[in-house]
Amino acid sequence: MPEEKYIVETVNLVKRFGDVVALKGVNFKVRVNEIVGLVGDNGAGKSTLVKILAGVYAPTEGEIIIKGQRFKRLTPRKAYELGIVLVHQERTLSENHTIWRNIFMGRELTGPLGFLRISEMRERAQKLLREIGLKAIPPDFPVKYLSGGYKQGVQITRALCFEADLVILDEPTIQLSLAEVQRVLEYVRELKKRGKSSIFISHNIYHVYPVADKFVILDRGRIVGEFLKKDLTPDDLSHIMISIARTGRVPPEYREINLISS
Amino acid sequence: MGKRSVLPKQLKTPYFTGITAKYKLQIAILAIFLMLWLIFFAINPSGFSNPYTYTAMLSVAPFTIIPALSLTYVIILGEIDLSFPSVMALGALVLTLTWKTFGPTPLGLLLALSAGLLAGLLNGILITKFQIPSLIATIGTMFLWRGFVLVVTQGYGIPLGEYRGLPIYEMLVGRIGIIPVQIIWTVVIALVLWVILNFHKFGAYVYYTGDNRIAAKMLGINTDKVIISVYMIHGAIAAFAGVLATLEMATFWPALGEIYLMKSIASVIVGGTPVTGGIGTIFGTFIGGLILELIETGILAAGVTGFWIRLVHGLVIIIALIAQVLIRRSEMRRMRVVE
Repeated sequence: MPEEKYIVETVNLVKRFGDVVALKGVNFKVRVNEIVGLVGDNGAGKSTLVKILAGVYAPTEGEIIIKGQRFKRLTPRKAYELGIVLVHQERTLSENHTIWRNIFMGRELTGPLGFLRISEMRERAQKLLREIGLKAIPPDFPVKYLSGGYKQGVQITRALCFEADLVILDEPTIQLSLAEVQRVLEYVRELKKRGKSSIFISHNIYHVYPVADKFVILDRGRIVGEFLKKDLTPDDLSHIMISIARTGRVPPEYREINLISS
Repeated sequence: MGKRSVLPKQLKTPYFTGITAKYKLQIAILAIFLMLWLIFFAINPSGFSNPYTYTAMLSVAPFTIIPALSLTYVIILGEIDLSFPSVMALGALVLTLTWKTFGPTPLGLLLALSAGLLAGLLNGILITKFQIPSLIATIGTMFLWRGFVLVVTQGYGIPLGEYRGLPIYEMLVGRIGIIPVQIIWTVVIALVLWVILNFHKFGAYVYYTGDNRIAAKMLGINTDKVIISVYMIHGAIAAFAGVLATLEMATFWPALGEIYLMKSIASVIVGGTPVTGGIGTIFGTFIGGLILELIETGILAAGVTGFWIRLVHGLVIIIALIAQVLIRRSEMRRMRVVE
């Protein structure tokens, strides 16, 4: 399927919350096996955009194209079925329950009459945890006792378990210690290795930079910049971000490598 | 990176160091029950070595425990139900009127359970579709169904003694030897609810809906459907408990169920299910209910006035709650993976 090079694509996406326009015609694309660093200031519309992709919000205007199928809006269930998984900071976990239960949450393996195939789920969870480098943690461990980085790990393991094609990471490194940030970045590399695509939202350029292939900069509901990693250093990216925050535009010296012509 | 296994020391010792670690809370609840039993036995050895003491206790305990079992699901959801005593009366009234009109057939039971299902459906719809907090919604339905029963009966009781001895009657509240049949029903309901909660997808959804409703929704679980289903099951089970209570007393009484409201809720709480939702066990509720019944039996057998029952109930509830907090805290301290 050569024409299906984008896993997800949005066409002129507009989202209004009452009088506030959060997205003003966004054309956002993620290629197969690409990791996109989605960056921008607070209120730029990053979360709104990914929540639309995850089916949490319905767009006011525009379309979402996933694997060639066109949608006016998605539901969380539909997005999940299409292979889009949103990894939220501790939001999509049932903390009081075990890791294996969390991994299979909402997609339990069941036998006849809907009874859980517990030993099978535990084994598969253990195998995946080992693969992603969480081999030390028993699948029967309750999630609430895990640290923030491990919790992200469980959510990413879930995404792998369901063969998700696009994993959206909404600020996965916020409030994490340095060692934990490294661990989360390792999970993201694991996703890439397995041929998955990912959208990585972060305030911290130095967290996104090492793992992303491409950077998309949102500013006040518009995509103002799109750069390939090979064209930029982290300091360049930082410079661009600061300039956008001050002037609302990409500095002239970077316009040539900006994939968005403004 | 993958090689660098920085293993928090908490994980080096296996989490489950045996059955005691996993079921600490349940064991604590069972210990409270056994301790109370020993105390009452010491006070009145002859009473507590007489099997009929237990027959008496187990013949009435089901009316507290059965609604408490399904109420455990409701509380795991993070919700509450105050209307189940009225639904007990509603179910019992439906059975009574059906039997008086069409004779004592299973039809009466079927209609009683259906009434319970419908009452539960109403609660579920109010809570999910109209988003009325369950505490408020079930205050409404509590008055509604109690009022309905009072209007229909005009406040009068209805005797059912003439049906005693019939097979259907004995199947519901008879005796097998000295064992009251209703306690067998209680155990059966407890087992079914326990199996569903622990080994069925529906039980898992009940836990997740109570633990993190937003997450459950984002992962595609239809939480409204889960909540409505739980209230319907709870309604039907409450109606069944009402039927058993009525037949045991051989009289339908319009105030039926009122005394079970706080006792059933207390059974769930003593049993270790926190009102914050997300966790809880059927076993705990079962023992919790037995604890409250044992206190009643023990105090009456000790020969002091029944006024002591409330006081001891209160004390035991508080002790059980403190024990639960301490157990959870120590586990939290022991298990937390910090880096």
